[in-house]
Amino acid sequence: MTLLLQTLILGLLAGGVYALMSSGFTLVFGVMKVINLAHGAMIVVAAFLTWWLWDRTGIDPLLIGVCLSPVMAGIGWLLYKTVIARVQRVDWELTLVASFGVAVAAGGVMALIWGAEGHAATPSYVTASFELGSLVVPEAQLYACVGAVVLLAALYALLRGTFLGRAIRASSANRDSAALVGITVERTMAAMFAIGAATTGFAGAALSVLYQFVPDSHYVWIGRILCVVILGGLGSFLGAGLGAGILGVSEALTSSYVDARWATAVPYVLIIVILLVRPQGLLGGRVRADGVAA
Amino acid sequence: MKAARGAVLGGMVLLVALVPLFTPDTYIHNLLILTFVVAVTASGWNIMGGLTGYVSLGHGAFIGVGGYTAGILAQRWDVSPFLVAPLGGVAAALVALLLGLATRKTRGAAFVIVSYAMLELLGQVTRNWSGVTGGSQGFLMPLPSWDIRFQNWPFYYALFALVLLSIGMTVAIRRSKLGLGLMAIRDDEDKAAGIGVRTPVYKSIAFMASAVLVGVAGAVYGYYVSTLSVGTMFDVVLSMQVVLAALVGGRGTVWGPILGAFLVVSLSELTNTTLGGADAGAIRLILFGGLLLAVVLLLPKGILPAASNLLERWRRGSAASPTGARLEDTPLPPAPARAGTTTGPSTGSTAGSTTGSTTADLLRVTDLTMRFGGVTALDTVTLAVPRGSITALIGPNGSGKTTLFNAVDGTYPVTSGSVALAGRPITRLGRVQRAHAGVGRSYQLPRLFDSLTVVENVAAATGEFRLTNLVLGAVSGAEAARATELLEFVGMGAYRQARAGDLSYGQRKLVELAQLLMLDPDVILLDEPAAGINPTLRRRLTALIRALNDSGRTFVIIEHDMHFVLSLADHAVVLARGAVLADGKPGDVSTDPAVLEAYLGEDLAVGADK
Repeated sequence: MTLLLQTLILGLLAGGVYALMSSGFTLVFGVMKVINLAHGAMIVVAAFLTWWLWDRTGIDPLLIGVCLSPVMAGIGWLLYKTVIARVQRVDWELTLVASFGVAVAAGGVMALIWGAEGHAATPSYVTASFELGSLVVPEAQLYACVGAVVLLAALYALLRGTFLGRAIRASSANRDSAALVGITVERTMAAMFAIGAATTGFAGAALSVLYQFVPDSHYVWIGRILCVVILGGLGSFLGAGLGAGILGVSEALTSSYVDARWATAVPYVLIIVILLVRPQGLLGGRVRADGVAA
Repeated sequence: MKAARGAVLGGMVLLVALVPLFTPDTYIHNLLILTFVVAVTASGWNIMGGLTGYVSLGHGAFIGVGGYTAGILAQRWDVSPFLVAPLGGVAAALVALLLGLATRKTRGAAFVIVSYAMLELLGQVTRNWSGVTGGSQGFLMPLPSWDIRFQNWPFYYALFALVLLSIGMTVAIRRSKLGLGLMAIRDDEDKAAGIGVRTPVYKSIAFMASAVLVGVAGAVYGYYVSTLSVGTMFDVVLSMQVVLAALVGGRGTVWGPILGAFLVVSLSELTNTTLGGADAGAIRLILFGGLLLAVVLLLPKGILPAASNLLERWRRGSAASPTGARLEDTPLPPAPARAGTTTGPSTGSTAGSTTGSTTADLLRVTDLTMRFGGVTALDTVTLAVPRGSITALIGPNGSGKTTLFNAVDGTYPVTSGSVALAGRPITRLGRVQRAHAGVGRSYQLPRLFDSLTVVENVAAATGEFRLTNLVLGAVSGAEAARATELLEFVGMGAYRQARAGDLSYGQRKLVELAQLLMLDPDVILLDEPAAGINPTLRRRLTALIRALNDSGRTFVIIEHDMHFVLSLADHAVVLARGAVLADGKPGDVSTDPAVLEAYLGEDLAVGADK
């Protein structure tokens, strides 16, 4: 029983971080229908930047992560302007291939700068934990999860409460109509892409504290992110939260009860199962189509 | 021109075949062997990604499946890996079949994700299942047993043969009915199902074809590299190079992936020899990632299609194309007889409906309800379409007319209620089965396969499914003649070879009608056939529908142009808010006070909405 509770706690804590990692991805998909395979690479870039700054200055890595948000937003904006917006005009489906190319190249750049060996930021609290009776709550996991949830709440408030949020949702519902009522769709899209990228700042910092990472780690992380968003329903914000929790708990359960080696296979198994059984995801709804090709 | 092209290609193939005889340099052999592996894989990818439109980022997985299967079996049975290489192909084809199952419900982006997940998952399984696969230690293949004088020749020629086979297979598929169906699926999968293309079978065959030779090549390649490891056999970068090769050369073309393979491997080798040291791997990643990006941005169609476009333009000059010409008000040819009544053995669908029915109503919809979340689009709709009638389905926008069509043709499953055609319930049937049972429908905005020619569009429609038909020529025999006849009938005969994507809106409507007639349905559902077309075309359409109706075809027509539809129809049904408001003779319905209030009156007060 203790083991089960302990497993659930660890799984849910990991899930909080997964949710933040996936939020930017699912936001971009929901609005632009673009699968940005470079999202995982952006998270790993943020992790490297965090590690590097922490190594130089000794400032708390999670704090660095918050400060990195505007930097990552800038990178996202640049990616949108130079690649995504252009490819989308040519062939919508090829945005996937293009962003994959960006991810692979980014992996090379990271390896060139930081080398291929494993890195991890290790502030003092990384080994500390709170104890609740016989249960253990690792401090680093808890801080990362709380930070992620706070940022997610802020993002949600931004989308719901501001004009930019309404413009983003309007553009997502109908691009042409949004343009007709005076929304500068192109600028809104760029802003939205930048916001999605901004979430990778703290997400990368959390990654650098909680896990070891190498340049190639972005393949693993994009795999997890894809799993989360497919579980929840592509483009669904709340679905991403649900999917993240399920993935975190499934991985923790597999580690505790099956074999830690198989935990890395969990996201891929979940992706395949959910696409076979309920392809629209857990929270994705059936929508009315007018029998007209999109 | 064609002969010259054949001679050049033949010469190049011969040249590559003779390389081992001219030079003993193993470096060159190795380079070409790698090229062959990428060429076979890219060619396979092309069948899935180029012809069928399912882009895969995990095609390298089939190399791993083939390599490990052959390696493990060769060890178990103590035979040469060459002997069991075909089984590696079979294993790859089976994995591809499973992958194909995932496409029953997923398309586009989701499929790319599944293919990537498959690659990673198979890599993980291979790594963890160390008892069988050697895990991260790697798996040792037996040493070659042939005379050292033959060097790498067996590997070289085996893979070379696989390249030729891949090319042959691609050519054969492109020319066949299978290929026509696949390209239809690529352009518009739902529409393909709607005109009777049994999409799951087509896709399953395509997926297996796309993997089988890659699996065999993987087995030979594994034997060649002698130690199988997850890193080389389930390589993400190799998968990416394959996509790159196919995109560079030209998606959907026969020779594009081959050309692309030569370019990609040469470039890869160039970076290997010019770059040394610890950073070489990183620089290669940057180079290939960047190249993939550059190709997508600058040359999205690939080298061969871009070159042939250029050549075409140069050769044809400014000769006027028939597309976009004014439609002449020519006299109407006689309506083609229904396929079942004239040609040879009658098809199942028509035979069943003309002889086995006792009811006067051809199509019967009973208590049909359709809900989307909280919206009830159709609320216990009951209506009957008499055999041989032209039934008008009218009602305000949003009253559920198109939804009713979608429910009848099987676009989505109904919430409750039933649909029966000629007394036979079809509610549980899928889209394709309904098309074969005799339901044909057009769309408000005509849906054609834009990359295919007009005659291919019509010939793609099929009222039955036979596995053996798939190998026949794409547009051949009786079907080709019938497609031409139908196109002549709707007045589009001159446009047979035009690309559907080049046609105007009105022309597309006519081609879609011909496509429907090819299916030879019992009941033809037309969704706003007269919307947005000029009076000449509208007159022609009226005459066409009359002539077809006289030859025994039943119509249901959604239309907002009351004059057009009520003059044509002999039976009318009015829908409002998802329910039947009135049902009867057109004259009675149009004067019904309830209808006037809900629809016609409002229409007149606001002004025509079309």
